[in-house]
Amino acid sequence: MDIVLQQLVNGLTLGSVYGLIAIGYTMVYGIIGMINFAHGDVYMVSSYLTAIAIALLTFFGFESFPIIIFGTLIFTIIVTGAYGWVIERVAYRPLRNSSRLSILISAIGMSLILQNYVQISQGARQQGIPTLLSGAIRFEVGDGFVQITYMKLFILFAAFLGMGILTYIIQKTKLGRMCRATQQDRKMASILGINTDRIISSVFVIGAAMAALAGVLVTLDYGAFDFYVGFIIGIKAFTAAVLGGIGSLPGAMLGGLILGLSEALFAGLISSDYKDVFSFSLLVVILIFRPSGLLGKPEVEKV
Amino acid sequence: MSNTVVRKTLVSLAVAGAAFAAQADVVIGVAGPHTGAYAAFGDQLWRGAEKAAMDINAKGGINGEMIKLIKADDACEPKQAVAVANRLVDSDEAVAVVGHFCSSSSIPASTIYEEAGVLMVTPGSTNPTLTDRGLPNVFRVCGRDDQQGDVAASYIVDELKAKRVAVLHDKDTYGKGLADATKAAMNAYGVKEVLYEGLTRGEKDFNALVTKIRSVDADVVYFGGLHSEAGPLVRQMREQGLTAKFISGDGIVSDEFVSVAGSPKYVDGVLMTFGADPTTYAAGKAVVEEFRASGVEPEGYVMYSYTAMQVVAAALGATDMDPVKAADWLHENSIDTVMGSKKFDDKGDLTVSDYVMYEWDKNGKYSMLYN
Amino acid sequence: MNQQTGVNFGASIKDAVIAGLLALIVFGPIVGVLLDGYDFSARPGDLATIVAVVMFGRFVISIFVQSDVGRKFLYRHAMKEDGVTVTAPDYKSKMYYILPIVIVIGLLVPFVATKYILTVVILGLIYVLLGLGLNIVVGLAGLLDLGFVGFYAIGAYGLALGYEYLGLGFWSMLPIAAVMAAIAGAILGFPVLRMHGDYLAIVTLGFGEIIRLVLTNWTEFTHGPNGVSAPLPTLFGLEFQRRSREGTPFHEFFGLPFDSAYKYMFVYLILFVVVLAVLYVKHRLTRMPIGRAWEALREDEIACRSLGLNHVLVKLSAFMLGASTGGIAGVFFATYQGFVNPSSFTFFESALILAIVVLGGMGSTLGVVIAAFVLTVMPEMLREFADYRVLMFGILMVVMMIWKPRGLVRVTRKGFATRKGAVK
Repeated sequence: MDIVLQQLVNGLTLGSVYGLIAIGYTMVYGIIGMINFAHGDVYMVSSYLTAIAIALLTFFGFESFPIIIFGTLIFTIIVTGAYGWVIERVAYRPLRNSSRLSILISAIGMSLILQNYVQISQGARQQGIPTLLSGAIRFEVGDGFVQITYMKLFILFAAFLGMGILTYIIQKTKLGRMCRATQQDRKMASILGINTDRIISSVFVIGAAMAALAGVLVTLDYGAFDFYVGFIIGIKAFTAAVLGGIGSLPGAMLGGLILGLSEALFAGLISSDYKDVFSFSLLVVILIFRPSGLLGKPEVEKV
Repeated sequence: MSNTVVRKTLVSLAVAGAAFAAQADVVIGVAGPHTGAYAAFGDQLWRGAEKAAMDINAKGGINGEMIKLIKADDACEPKQAVAVANRLVDSDEAVAVVGHFCSSSSIPASTIYEEAGVLMVTPGSTNPTLTDRGLPNVFRVCGRDDQQGDVAASYIVDELKAKRVAVLHDKDTYGKGLADATKAAMNAYGVKEVLYEGLTRGEKDFNALVTKIRSVDADVVYFGGLHSEAGPLVRQMREQGLTAKFISGDGIVSDEFVSVAGSPKYVDGVLMTFGADPTTYAAGKAVVEEFRASGVEPEGYVMYSYTAMQVVAAALGATDMDPVKAADWLHENSIDTVMGSKKFDDKGDLTVSDYVMYEWDKNGKYSMLYN
Repeated sequence: MNQQTGVNFGASIKDAVIAGLLALIVFGPIVGVLLDGYDFSARPGDLATIVAVVMFGRFVISIFVQSDVGRKFLYRHAMKEDGVTVTAPDYKSKMYYILPIVIVIGLLVPFVATKYILTVVILGLIYVLLGLGLNIVVGLAGLLDLGFVGFYAIGAYGLALGYEYLGLGFWSMLPIAAVMAAIAGAILGFPVLRMHGDYLAIVTLGFGEIIRLVLTNWTEFTHGPNGVSAPLPTLFGLEFQRRSREGTPFHEFFGLPFDSAYKYMFVYLILFVVVLAVLYVKHRLTRMPIGRAWEALREDEIACRSLGLNHVLVKLSAFMLGASTGGIAGVFFATYQGFVNPSSFTFFESALILAIVVLGGMGSTLGVVIAAFVLTVMPEMLREFADYRVLMFGILMVVMMIWKPRGLVRVTRKGFATRKGAVK
């Protein structure tokens, strides 16, 4: 019993991280219909930024946890957002009217560039950050226990807060309305006076900011990263986005949670060797029955 | 095939010309992951080999010929290893290679070196298959995973008296080979593992696996793999309140293990098998000090790489630069190196295995355990 | 853009300053601060260099764009028309003269090239095969496949495991692997028939990953990450090893001194012939009804179905033919490397093959051949750049896409003219 509960906690934290990164995929896909393969590496860059921010803040004598975490978040989100903007401007905008596959290849190239640029400037070492918040809550369950670190609680809280703020922005603000309009019909939106180029840029910035949030949280929790971490987590997050229905925000979050939970439960109860096989098979099965993902709108084919 | 004759003639003419024109160089490749996820180890290899070559050249080279090193990057990918091995053999005309690092690169590359009659001395590939295939030109100055696994297993069974052991690996040639060797040795000593699982290299979240270890109530966790995964794994174990002893192999020998784990307190008490500390040999004292003076800590495979270069230089020197004869010579003679005297058996393995147990302390340093 | 002539230096300087500020934000932390354990050291020098380069580059581009030459350049860049180029009905391709020359040169390569160059060319040809296979699926049938490496792995492991368990050699495995890969293609094809575009992409990606994970984890059968060794092709039973396992090796039979280059020459020659055969088959297929059906389906599935095309059969045939080509490439890869393990079949490999197809110009055979060589030979040439090798590769990928978004070679189609004269 305690083991199953613990696995649920594991899955939930992992899933919320997948969800945060999946948002970046799903928003970009929704608005310009491209798979942004460099997104996982944007997340990787934000891990480095987190460590750099923490190192800088400690150097300037800030010690208390709230100040460090707040400063790190702001710094990382701003700089990662700038990355999102620059990447879109340099590698994707010139290809705006080309086939979607050309942008895909450009994105793969961008992903290589980011990885190697970070490797060259920061070295190939494994990096780590010091533990900032240690300690855990322990619940006694039967004769076992469930242990949740404060950091994990913080991750869950921050992830859901981040998703909440994003939902608010998309649903209630003017920027959000413009984003949705552009997503539905880019040409019509531009006729109505929306600067669609700027909206697309801001979608990239928002996506990068969510990846930055995930980067800060994961880095604080696991404490370890290298220039290669973006790849696996990027693929997983992309899977989550498709699972939930690509283009749908709640779908990305739901997909992330389902993927995280199923991985944790499968690894914990059956075999961790085959957990990725299981996640991909789950995806295939879900897509066979719901070809547009769980919350995605079915594609209507018009003649 | 007359073109081969023509090519050979051209090559020999070129070589003769070069010898006539200036000092002939002896080209030695340093092959390893200089880019990619394991570039840190490639770095160690390069540092050791570079220093060794500099020292040998400063003393007049090998029989008067200067060593010229070629950095060969395989990124720990077999495909690139084959390409770069062919390049070393063919375009660079290397007579010997120090490397590769990853066993999965060393194995396919060794065939190419064998065909070309090039001497290969690896400082870090510990997978038994490498030398078990009986290639005459392949040597290693490190141990074998089965020797390492045996040391770990006997420690687990005899010293720790563990009954419930979980064996994990990273599904890679090195990690899985090591975990399997330890498992086999442990089973031979009469202890059966309670859990045997693989994790995915490159991931950082092992919480589900950790909970599973908890569910089988393991008191020792053995991990075959590298520090990039061992760090997060041990940290997540401690964070979930799992106090089982953590043991691993020579893949975690790097100061990065501590920074990856997040804090020295997480690595406190972690055990690992590694060759008797390469920096403690009397013969290598001066070299170690020179390394430290230049601001480089001779950690991990740096000294192994230095040793490999010394072995290559000694063998080539004794056989007049003929790598095929040099390989035969190495099977017969022992070589004095910065890591003491080394002797190879028929397969190209070291005759003496020097694996010992190390323990990490609460300051994030490791030291040998003397039983 | 307003039509003023002359160059506005003020605006260019403003552009440069903005670019510099952005560069400072983007590169500042990663380049300017070097992490060292939990500590760091500052590197203002490198950062200043990068920012200066970015500012200067932006300034130059800004000036260039405002000049007459630049405007013309931009105009031409913006005027890329869509679709295929249609040649005149009586147009005669220059290929009729070039092709024989290329074949002769190709056959001469192994006798003049060094072993290293030969191995690089072999790798290039293997990627030509892969590119041709994926080109059927992506370029012609328009099904985005991100897991093509799965079929490649099936071919490679087919040879290695077939040799180990069944004692089958290169020659018997070559057709068997093609059939096996085709069957796998069909198995993948069925569930994804209903899916479109990017859902298809992720499912195929998952398929490729599943194959790799099974190869890694099923250690009893595949030896997992330890890999399996693969045999070399034989010439009528003559082996190319230094010491033969059975019978006389090739060099002793002909009384030649042993040279490992022979085996690469031999592999190259077989591969070259196979590539030519595949090229020919593909050339014919695109002119046959099935090839036309693929392209029609890519353009408009609903129209095709309403015209009575069996879309299941059309899609499946594309998957199976593409997959079998991938399987053949896998066999060659295994024999060339002499050893296979799962780390050769990662997602990156699929991305590389896809890049070959897209860069070559979707659907264009010649383009695929050129792109395959560019993308495999380039990393080897870039070895001179050492640490910057992969970075350069990524930059070239992005630049080439921006420069030629439709690929290096545009698809050309022969035009049809109405026949003159009365119908009899």
